[in-house]
Amino acid sequence: MAAKVNKKRRSAVQSVVCPIIFGIALIAAWQTGLLHILLNTDEYVLPYPTRILTIMGENGDKIMTNVWASVQVAVFGLIFGSLLGYLIAIFAATFPKFGSGGLTIVSAFNAIPIVALAPVIINWTKDVSSEAEVRSTVAKVIVVTVVSMASMSVNAYRGLTELPVFSDDLMKTYAAGKLTEFTKLRLPNSVPYIFTALRVSVPGSVISALVSEYFAEYVIGVGRQIRENILIAQYSTAWAYIVTACIIGIVMYAVLMVIETIVLKKRR
Amino acid sequence: MRFSKKTMAAMLAAAMIVSAFSACGSSSGSAGTTTAAAATSAAATTAAAAAGSSDSGAAMSDSDRIISAAQAGKVGNWGLGNEYEIFALLTKYGQENKFLSQAFDMDGFDDDSITLASAMTYNELGLVQNSYEGGYGYGDSVGIIDMNNEGVAMLEDNLFCTKAFAEANPNTVKAFISASMKGWKYACENPEEAAQIVFEAGSSVSSDHQAYMASEVKKLVETDTTGSTVTDYGKMDEAAMQQTLDLAKQYISLDDSTAAEKLQALTLDDIRSTAYWTDAMAGSFDAPEKTDVSIQLKWLPQAQFMGYFVAKAKGYYDEVGLNVTIVSGGGDIGETTAVNNGTVDFGVTWVSNLISANAGGMDLLEIAQVYQRSGLVLVYKK
Repeated sequence: MAAKVNKKRRSAVQSVVCPIIFGIALIAAWQTGLLHILLNTDEYVLPYPTRILTIMGENGDKIMTNVWASVQVAVFGLIFGSLLGYLIAIFAATFPKFGSGGLTIVSAFNAIPIVALAPVIINWTKDVSSEAEVRSTVAKVIVVTVVSMASMSVNAYRGLTELPVFSDDLMKTYAAGKLTEFTKLRLPNSVPYIFTALRVSVPGSVISALVSEYFAEYVIGVGRQIRENILIAQYSTAWAYIVTACIIGIVMYAVLMVIETIVLKKRR
Repeated sequence: MRFSKKTMAAMLAAAMIVSAFSACGSSSGSAGTTTAAAATSAAATTAAAAAGSSDSGAAMSDSDRIISAAQAGKVGNWGLGNEYEIFALLTKYGQENKFLSQAFDMDGFDDDSITLASAMTYNELGLVQNSYEGGYGYGDSVGIIDMNNEGVAMLEDNLFCTKAFAEANPNTVKAFISASMKGWKYACENPEEAAQIVFEAGSSVSSDHQAYMASEVKKLVETDTTGSTVTDYGKMDEAAMQQTLDLAKQYISLDDSTAAEKLQALTLDDIRSTAYWTDAMAGSFDAPEKTDVSIQLKWLPQAQFMGYFVAKAKGYYDEVGLNVTIVSGGGDIGETTAVNNGTVDFGVTWVSNLISANAGGMDLLEIAQVYQRSGLVLVYKK
């Protein structure tokens, strides 16, 4: 028992303390210029953390405006994509004959680079609205939708079909219909798989939202700011937005982890 | 246990449905604002049309055009450091400094999502007007608003290096300027041959478009912002440079307060030196300190940079003892960064980009100003 607790404590040390020490060491190396020597770069392309934080502090409002634009796109795209992906998975599980083929096509979407997808969708949605802000947002949301759809459909399909041994036989002995089998067996069984999918598609949705902003007609978003500032050689400001993008990704992932812990608590 | 699984699944499904509904709500909300905006823009168009017809069918004036396009949010520019002249123009007509992000083709102009589109006289304007490969063939049915005539011209393609490089290799710099300007002179005297040289050197566009580009670039190199002829290739016109710097200070907005303060404090002496060019044109320089040098272009190989390609092809660089490599631009790492970190020795950029780079902490120095006037126009369908 004591050994078990000890082991647990050691793993907590490994998973919490070590990353923190590594992070502090990295930031210290960065601030003292050691990192610049190691990476053979200058403080111009890689500004000091203090400079980046100062810029973030000075531009709170502007950064938040851009953050909201990016987060909205990522979240709505994630929701639509996940819903759509789940529906596709249900379809594939219900009609296994064409289902698996359909899934292959959907997962092929995942292989399309966002830089290729975004301009196509932006051109395609030009008639959606006469207002550039609306049609740009729609286009960006569609890009994120397509990207998050693939991982959800593939994972949810596994959740809907890879059932515990004999469980579907058990359902049959109870003379359960297809719908009952779905609501009582397949749907609950797929919940952990939904979270597996989201663990992939949450960071993916942030990345695809930022990249699609490069191509959007309406100039807004964290990704667009990164590109603008790098091209006019404002690396410190670009880094401020890069750090912001990292925070968005981490916060969204953390929120997912919290939801996952709550939802799956009773399963463990 | 089974019950709780079911509850969880139901909760999840409910959450998904709720989020879908809330999303629908927000999108229908924005659809509402869209209709309102469309109505406003329709009203503006009607008003403009009425104004036009009351003028006994006379064409819309440039100022009406700028104002109505700005009100409708249909002024296009590429952004990314190319937008300052457009900001200056919009401010001049009392409009908000906003533009639609324009792709590097003219499809947005073609499909009317942009009514006043940015175009370089030597590139996009040719594609809009001409009907050769890649062209849209609008011919004379389009009109232009010229930044030079509007008094908001900022100088574009220059030649620059770092201050440190210029101080360490003054003869290399002078030799490079001398041979390059000889190349520009020859290119402007023989634009068709220059276009062919560029095309053979690995052009990104068709030879027809290259020829068009050469003839238009010649005008920018040999005419100043006021329309007078310039015979000294690469000359740094004091007034035009000052106007560029003044407009840059007004319209380049930097989030980094250190950079913003530095921008406001910049003077012409911080961004250019005429000494190298003066000596180069007088031919007073010795053997170059560094003989293998490279120059990074601002964009893909095209007649926009014909002077350098001609100087290389005609052996002008060899004459002054230089072995020059021309590096194509067009990536997302700007030419200012490449020159600053020593990847290349010389670069071609817009003066405004050099100004923002120096404000951000680089120490770049313009050594020649190849384009004497702005090549940026706004193009519209008549």
